[in-house]
Amino acid sequence: MLPLSYPLRNVLARPLRSAMSVVVIALVVVACSLFLGLISSLRRSFVSSGDPMNLVVLRKGSDNDGASQLSRDAVASIRWLEGISRNGDDQPLVSPELVVQPFFHTLAGGRENVLVRGVEPIALDVHSGVRITEGRMFRPRLHEVIVGRGVLGRYEGAVLGHEIRFGRNRWTVVGVFDAGGSSFESEVWADVTELAADARRGAVYSGVRITAASEAELARLKARIDSDPQYAIEASRESDYYAKQSETSRSLYVFVVIIALLAGVGAGFGSANTMYAAVQSRTAEIGTLRALGFTRGTILTAFQVEALALSLAGFAAGAVLSLVLSALVRGWLGGIAFSAATFTTNVVSLRIGASDLLLSGTLAVVIGFCGGLGPAWRAGNLRPIEALRRG
Amino acid sequence: MGFVGFVLANLRRNLLRSALTGGAVALAVLLVCLLLAMPAGLDAFLTRIASDTRISVINKAGLVYWMPYSLARKVRGLDGVTDAVGMVWFGGAFEEAGRVTFPSFAVEVDHIPGVYPDWNIAPDQLSAFQRYRDGTIVGRQTMRKYGWKVGDRITLRSNVWSLSLDLRIVGEIPNDRSPLVWVNREYLDQALKASGRPGLGIVGIVWTRVAAPDDVNPVMLRVEALTRNSDYETTTQTEKTFFATFIGSLQSFITILMIVTGLVSLCIVFIAANTASMAVRERAGEIGVLRAIGFRRRIIFSMLLAETVVLSLVAGSLGVLLAWAFTLGLRAAGATIAALGPLGGFFVTPGVIVQGIVLSLAIGILAGLAPALGAARKPVADTLREVF
Repeated sequence: MLPLSYPLRNVLARPLRSAMSVVVIALVVVACSLFLGLISSLRRSFVSSGDPMNLVVLRKGSDNDGASQLSRDAVASIRWLEGISRNGDDQPLVSPELVVQPFFHTLAGGRENVLVRGVEPIALDVHSGVRITEGRMFRPRLHEVIVGRGVLGRYEGAVLGHEIRFGRNRWTVVGVFDAGGSSFESEVWADVTELAADARRGAVYSGVRITAASEAELARLKARIDSDPQYAIEASRESDYYAKQSETSRSLYVFVVIIALLAGVGAGFGSANTMYAAVQSRTAEIGTLRALGFTRGTILTAFQVEALALSLAGFAAGAVLSLVLSALVRGWLGGIAFSAATFTTNVVSLRIGASDLLLSGTLAVVIGFCGGLGPAWRAGNLRPIEALRRG
Repeated sequence: MGFVGFVLANLRRNLLRSALTGGAVALAVLLVCLLLAMPAGLDAFLTRIASDTRISVINKAGLVYWMPYSLARKVRGLDGVTDAVGMVWFGGAFEEAGRVTFPSFAVEVDHIPGVYPDWNIAPDQLSAFQRYRDGTIVGRQTMRKYGWKVGDRITLRSNVWSLSLDLRIVGEIPNDRSPLVWVNREYLDQALKASGRPGLGIVGIVWTRVAAPDDVNPVMLRVEALTRNSDYETTTQTEKTFFATFIGSLQSFITILMIVTGLVSLCIVFIAANTASMAVRERAGEIGVLRAIGFRRRIIFSMLLAETVVLSLVAGSLGVLLAWAFTLGLRAAGATIAALGPLGGFFVTPGVIVQGIVLSLAIGILAGLAPALGAARKPVADTLREVF
């Protein structure tokens, strides 16, 4: 068996050529990590939005807030159902909500639809993941709003204490809320009555969010709402509701996987090339090793280890580079905007997670392994006599 | 042996290496073309569907804010306006699909022909749309998705208006990528009144056609003046800008795409440069001999450079071709498989082809420059001394 230091020192013996391979693999790792990070950030923003103990009640057949309408009576019928959790003031955790998608003007001069959610103050108890981090909750009748972290600074006036213009009015930003990276952070919350008046919606809501007292009550509530004799309404678990919204990211995922594979195969060709050249230039050395009695398997392994070492080094460099790059992108572009099912803008902050790095690391190792396979095979199968003669 | 023959012979010398390098270049160009095809496809799509004489009129506050129905009539009365059609979001869902899967609008049927003469809807279908109250005109994409034909009867349930309409398909918008469904506004209005509600007094968007592109700006100003200081101030945009704003929010995603595109191209330059330098190193002796027998530096330099450039141009063209075939396949699949979503909308436009070829040329030159220059510059005596 050849000691591990043999292939590793071979890597260092040709620093320029090895560096070239490392750079190539590092670049592929960066490209993959950036893309995977983007997709997983997008997914996370949806998945973390749902609270498994919450139910979303919408009109039957609507797949999102923006496409649903519920009358005041339908909402009232839900408010006093049994099995709904209560807050400290003994109020049922029922949040009737109205979703409107007005234009907001971006600082860059563009115009985007933003999801404005009309709520009652109890919304903060129902959406347990939403916390006001700066300022305070809005007070009704004063045209005050609170904005999500993703909205902050993206649009004209979206700064604490300033005025935003949307709909038919100006609204004062009195608070900023954090929702753990979820899609709520791309929303603006206003008083539901004021918002309905501004959008001329009358006594109509989009949907209701309720928090069940327990898992068993949640199932019972859902069954009760789905079979409501009077109103065509249906309830879905909030986490399922948002998981469904994230389905749009699936086609992007396919696209990214195709790109990663293409880039990976290309880089594999490159590293195979380098390794073939290494085998060729070391023909005499390999012949000598074989003549000394080292087996084919040993030689093959040594070259394979060399290729893997190169790809691991490439991965390490790529991982560091992609983390730096993603931090730069966050600073430079801010959030990255996607369209949500509600036709509104979902601002996602790019974060490369451990699983994304793991996946691109796997790709790097596969590149190294496949790229090394051919050359290592050739090295292992050199006939000692010929190799010595040729060398 | 001529210059070209020499270059080709050198490329054949280590066929495996040339193939691997060529493969890497082809894959990179394929990748870059696909990435470029996305924004290019969006733009080509917009240019194709959008007319430069059609403008949208919507509430300044946003698409979900309504305007009074009378606005459509007022816009039609303005100078420079050929015709205008008021539309309302119908939000129809096909029962079998269960949820809303296509955009549907209740439209003023009499004004569709005047606003959309460029969509090539058959005249007899347009007149049937005006004649039958329950008629509907459906985009070809949606027709295919559900296997509908002209003459079929369907029921659409509206989540917005909470009623169902029984409809007959009287026509088709002959565009593979059009998912639109138009129903008769009068029909919806009567159905609402029949269920004891006030009629449809609103309009969500007024598509306005002007006589000539020069009339666009004056008409936009006139429309905005019409509604200034009212309860429903409007904003007008050309059709292309209107659709572009839907895509505009993807801008930063496209920036990331471009960063990755750049990284991948750089990566391939490295691979190809590495190969070129290996080839030059191996042939050091040969190059020395060529110089010794009188070949000029310039010839040696161009010969070595030509080698990488030819390889990467051939491989790059292959990559462009592959990208073209790939998007063609995706588009064909996208027409039937809705799950592909935006992936069905990639177009390798002539611009993308040119960019792909230029990129492969650049890869060849960048990769070959340093090794070729090095080999040509090296003093003959040094090289020969090293070898012999």
